[in-house]
Amino acid sequence: MARLVVMGGGVSGHTAATFAKKWLGSDHEVVVVTPNAQWNWIPSNIWVGVGQMKKEDVVFPLAPVYEKAGIDYRQAKAVSIHPDGKADSDTPYITIEYTGQGKEGQTEEITYDYLINATGPKLNFDATPGLGNGKGQLGDHTVSVCTADHAIHANLELQQLFEKAKTEKQKVLVGTGHGLCTCQGAAFEYIFNIEHEARKAGVRDNLEIKWISNESFIGDFGIGGLHIKRGMYAASSKLFAESLFVERGVDWMVGAHVNKVEEGKVHYELLDGSTGEEEFDFAMLIPPFAGVGLKAYDKNGEDMTDKIFAPNGFLKVDADYTAKPYEEWKASDWPRTYQNPEYKNIFAAGIAFAPPHPISKPMQSPNGTPITPTPPRTGMPSGIIGKAVAHSIVDMIKNGENAHIHEASMAEMGAACVASAGKGLTDGTAAALTVYPVVPDFEKYPGIGRDLDYTFGEIGLAGHWIKHILHHLFIYKAKLKPGWTLIPE
Amino acid sequence: MIKELVIYPDDRILACGDVRGFDESVGRLFDDIKETMDHHGLDALSAMQVAHPFNMFIVKKDGEYIEFANPRILQKSKPFEAEERSSYYPDVTAIVPRHEKLKIVYEDRNGNTCYMDADNDRHFAAMFEQMMDFSLGGTMLDRIDKKQKQRILDALEGKGLVPQVGDVCPTFSRKDYFVSFADKILFFMGLSLLTPLFKFEKTTVENIYMFDKIAFPSVLLLMAGFFVYAFYESKKYKQCSSCQVGNNIGVVIKRSVAAIAFAVGAYFLVNPS
Repeated sequence: MARLVVMGGGVSGHTAATFAKKWLGSDHEVVVVTPNAQWNWIPSNIWVGVGQMKKEDVVFPLAPVYEKAGIDYRQAKAVSIHPDGKADSDTPYITIEYTGQGKEGQTEEITYDYLINATGPKLNFDATPGLGNGKGQLGDHTVSVCTADHAIHANLELQQLFEKAKTEKQKVLVGTGHGLCTCQGAAFEYIFNIEHEARKAGVRDNLEIKWISNESFIGDFGIGGLHIKRGMYAASSKLFAESLFVERGVDWMVGAHVNKVEEGKVHYELLDGSTGEEEFDFAMLIPPFAGVGLKAYDKNGEDMTDKIFAPNGFLKVDADYTAKPYEEWKASDWPRTYQNPEYKNIFAAGIAFAPPHPISKPMQSPNGTPITPTPPRTGMPSGIIGKAVAHSIVDMIKNGENAHIHEASMAEMGAACVASAGKGLTDGTAAALTVYPVVPDFEKYPGIGRDLDYTFGEIGLAGHWIKHILHHLFIYKAKLKPGWTLIPE
Repeated sequence: MIKELVIYPDDRILACGDVRGFDESVGRLFDDIKETMDHHGLDALSAMQVAHPFNMFIVKKDGEYIEFANPRILQKSKPFEAEERSSYYPDVTAIVPRHEKLKIVYEDRNGNTCYMDADNDRHFAAMFEQMMDFSLGGTMLDRIDKKQKQRILDALEGKGLVPQVGDVCPTFSRKDYFVSFADKILFFMGLSLLTPLFKFEKTTVENIYMFDKIAFPSVLLLMAGFFVYAFYESKKYKQCSSCQVGNNIGVVIKRSVAAIAFAVGAYFLVNPS
């Protein structure tokens, strides 16, 4: 009997664990280690953040789902990896520290034959002074929609703001809280949902809403933007997004690195090196992501973290990490199997893998401050990678170490994205986009790096309905209800 | 080398990407763009407009040719409306919302990062923003009202006249009420011609014929009303293609002829006497 340990129970880890267990059956063991008791459909957190959904609508308890699936669930955080075992044993293992199940604070070693690192990101609030509280948590000056609990807090603050806006002018600032953030899409959705709710609440006239982002142009979204073909013409995501900003009366500032947050004020540096301040009454700023801080040790207990992890804490996989200039970046730099080059039984999935470089054009201010979105590995690619990795490990378990390794390169993968711009059965709006490939391939598609015939999008009420249907569909799938395997990632 | 200008409609204007490597070909293309601008007397020209899918363009400012590669607008303020033309859409002039104050970052022909704060030069700002539209997969028409854009595109395809600056044609006209009402009456007049196919009582047939006798002059009156109102609108919106007199006469003749035909038909087929 082989044991697969999956660290992380988010979109990628949950997908990997559940498919692996389904394919392996009871002959082999699948263990999931995640500090969370609940699974969270993160894309809907923005609706919790404006009071249009409750926390219960976007989360569900993991324990009964894993029990039904026959997965060994440990509510704990992974602390370290020991790929060579220890002095008296060659069996690799990880150490965990429980956060629930009545064992809070207890540590344990779990041996593994195969390991998937799907820990997702650490929300690195403290990378920007004032954005965090100095202890790794969200600070007092801004709100976040990165977790369901953050979103509840955001909504409470937002409702207070709306109350004040009935009698006086208020300013809302939404965007990214650091020059190296990713996940601009969530902030983009949140700002337009706030705008939508403000109109419904009758306080829009008293709200000044402003976007601040590390993208060098609106609509970059960390993937260098995209072009959406419509009949005889193609609209860039810049025009697409800018039109929405203009239509909704939302002001914007891009190329901004937020370097300090204070009560009611952010300090920023722009790509041209100039600095400034922006005041706010309510701010939601996405933090930068980092690895969760896992350590790796060799057989003698010596730290070898840098051997299997990149400096940002993400797991090294089969990518080309050679430093090279933007013009030499290739689609082939991106990983295909997500297998660690040092340890063939360790894989990464979702945000946990170290990307070789950004997707967007790298930019920095004259002061040397990098202001470039880091590449997104969330959503659809995250699920697809999780499933591919599970497939590879299952084949290795069943057919031996030389079994076929499945591939899911983001440079050969399309993705669909539905970005809400307001929730409502009859007055909702969302932009539905597809992009192919996620990572531009400038050799295959000279010029823009993408296939215009597979990159399209539309904005409107139907997009909102799609997003709402997907919300129910993916939660249904994650709960492993009948037919869950038929629902794509 | 003077390049051929891309003129609407042309697939080559669809999309472009950032310049990734700065070798001598970038400088050569900038030189060609400049030569083409001089040849055609243009104040700005993008690589897209000479069929090179790269995010680069030249804009004239105070007689100087400024070369922009991979430009980005970080901040913009002081909105104004610019009257713009483009070599891509010959004979089209449009009022486009632009911003006078721009904070710009871009690269020169050697890939060096440059910065510019543009202010108090509306012509330059409008040209720069129009070039940005091209470089990111759009045109100036993407900045104007969608219906106005569609009217311009229709006109470029030979359907109607190109709307002129300042011409605002309502998307719905009250004269359409006249047409809509007349169409409904005509529908029932046509339906009444089927009366002989059914064995109605005599009083019913008399009532149907009475309807026809009232409906016929009503349609003519509605068409007269339509024509008068359309004439008024054509004065108010002088370049509105949908208000053209020819169209209006066509609408009147078509429905009047139909009303006469139905009335004659009713006289012979429905008339109980």
